[in-house]
Amino acid sequence: MNALQYPEIKPKKKFIKRIYIAVMLWVVGRAIQAAAKVDREVKEEFAKLKDNFLLKMWIWPNGPAMYVGKTKDGKVKYLGWKDKGYKPTLTMTIKSVEAAMLLFTFQEGTAISTARNRLVVDGDLPDACALVRILNIVEVYLLPKIIAKLAVKRYPKWSQMNPLRKHFGRILIYVRAFTF
Amino acid sequence: MQLPAYYEFCNSVKTIVGHKALEQIPQSLKAINAQRPMIITDKGVEQAGLIKIVQAAMQKSKLKAAALFDSVPADSDVKVVNEVAKIYRAKKCDSIIAVGGGSVLDTAKGANILVSENATDLMQFVGYGNVKRKLRPFVAIPTTAGTGSEVTSVAVIANHEKNIKMAFGSLFLLPDIAIIDSRMTKTLPPTITAFTGMDALTHAVEAYFCLAKNPLSDTTALAAIQLIAQNLVNVVKKPSDLDGRLALALASNLAGMAFSNSMVGLVHNIGHAIGGVCGVPHGVCMNILLPYGLEYNMHKRSQYIGELLYPLAGEEVYNKTPKKERPLKTVEYIRKLIQDLHDATDGKHPRFLKEVYDRTGKQMIPKEKLPDIARTAMSDPAQFYNPEDLDYNDYIMVLEAAWEGIPLDRKKIKKG
Ligand SMILES: [Fe+2]
Repeated sequence: MNALQYPEIKPKKKFIKRIYIAVMLWVVGRAIQAAAKVDREVKEEFAKLKDNFLLKMWIWPNGPAMYVGKTKDGKVKYLGWKDKGYKPTLTMTIKSVEAAMLLFTFQEGTAISTARNRLVVDGDLPDACALVRILNIVEVYLLPKIIAKLAVKRYPKWSQMNPLRKHFGRILIYVRAFTF
Repeated sequence: MQLPAYYEFCNSVKTIVGHKALEQIPQSLKAINAQRPMIITDKGVEQAGLIKIVQAAMQKSKLKAAALFDSVPADSDVKVVNEVAKIYRAKKCDSIIAVGGGSVLDTAKGANILVSENATDLMQFVGYGNVKRKLRPFVAIPTTAGTGSEVTSVAVIANHEKNIKMAFGSLFLLPDIAIIDSRMTKTLPPTITAFTGMDALTHAVEAYFCLAKNPLSDTTALAAIQLIAQNLVNVVKKPSDLDGRLALALASNLAGMAFSNSMVGLVHNIGHAIGGVCGVPHGVCMNILLPYGLEYNMHKRSQYIGELLYPLAGEEVYNKTPKKERPLKTVEYIRKLIQDLHDATDGKHPRFLKEVYDRTGKQMIPKEKLPDIARTAMSDPAQFYNPEDLDYNDYIMVLEAAWEGIPLDRKKIKKG
């Protein structure tokens, strides 16, 4: 058989997916940092986490990746996509580019991804619980209701909350996530 | 049956079931190339004379254990694991036979990691997938019909000095062989039979309605529920019923297969927290919380919860009940089962959280502890697989209802 007669598979599609995922990781990372400044609940969750908390979120086996951690003065900071010798205390591994696409096109929430073993969290389990709560809040802020409803188990009733939190929180998080 | 777009299921344990299944130990060990087994157990199992039965069964083929460790405590920890590993090495053992409940099996799994990896510190294997190769031959012989540990790929081991619990998950933690013999659960007192049976029932029910359900775990879960519904009360009333005992032990095994692949939800989530804060036995919490787990998730999983009526109540009741009424009827049946167990044990089997007493007659879950329990539950990962979300106030709502023993007011459950 002549191997040459088979067309070479070009990784073009996968490349575009990787860029999309990298952008989404960046958005989520920045949004976590922003939400930690603006949202009372996210702030409280982070306050309870240990001082050296460092989250790595990445796609197995070679990225892209994203790091968020607590700084020495207790602030929450997006640390970029490059591994600068970080020692993550919590690692969220998404098992494939396809799994990441399902997650970041919000066809599948974190809960279902975990249930289907596409998303594996490694580290202290209480931290993992806190992180899932943080991600849920961030998703609700970032996404239009119709999409966020698919991504989280229970979409919060904004009416039960301070209306200021909804609008101002959202605008501030957008501004903080998209400006440097 | 729901066919999800994707799912995973693994059970690689050779399971031997029978009234005289223990007699298969020598042959089974030979088949996995082991000659010098170490028996690991606890004092309760030893005093109930169960080790003698195991040894006699081995003796028939002239097989002797190379070592016996019979003092795994109920709150086993990493120190015990190290001690077991030391004896294993000193006596040049080449395999493990763990005889007991969850604590013994977890301790033995931990020791197996150490001796197989030639390691001294368990810490380096903590987490999911960090045990990466085949361990020493491992035979599990359960002496309670509840935990299903003989078919699970996890182990939880405490470190009391550091005040942490280390969780290990790896397919290599699945035993090679599980032996289910009715003689091993025959002497279990009625109260323990009751709540361990309810633990197994909870494994099957949660596996069936929570988020990671799949057709393979559904099948095992439904079979387990049917066996428990048909046998639990009878065996509690008549402990020497060996067929019933074997049915319950098998149910626990099936339920273990179901939940180790499909995980659990709210009931285990809150149950772990009550166990942690108040030291209440796991099965007792499961028994009390199970109806509440169903009620809390009813608006999202009514179809699946309704389907549970069939194995619980049988064909006739299922067919007579209109589809719309089946979910609530399922809850009603489980509440009736709890009441029946309460009656069959002269009121020793608790129905509500406020009814749980320790040996000295002291109430184990004072109402003031509920906030503490709720906060602890928020850090327990079993919530991931629960269909509906919970915040602090939701936990308190469920806990208060379960404490008083009143059904959940389903109108008050927040829906997205
Ligand atoms: Fe359990």
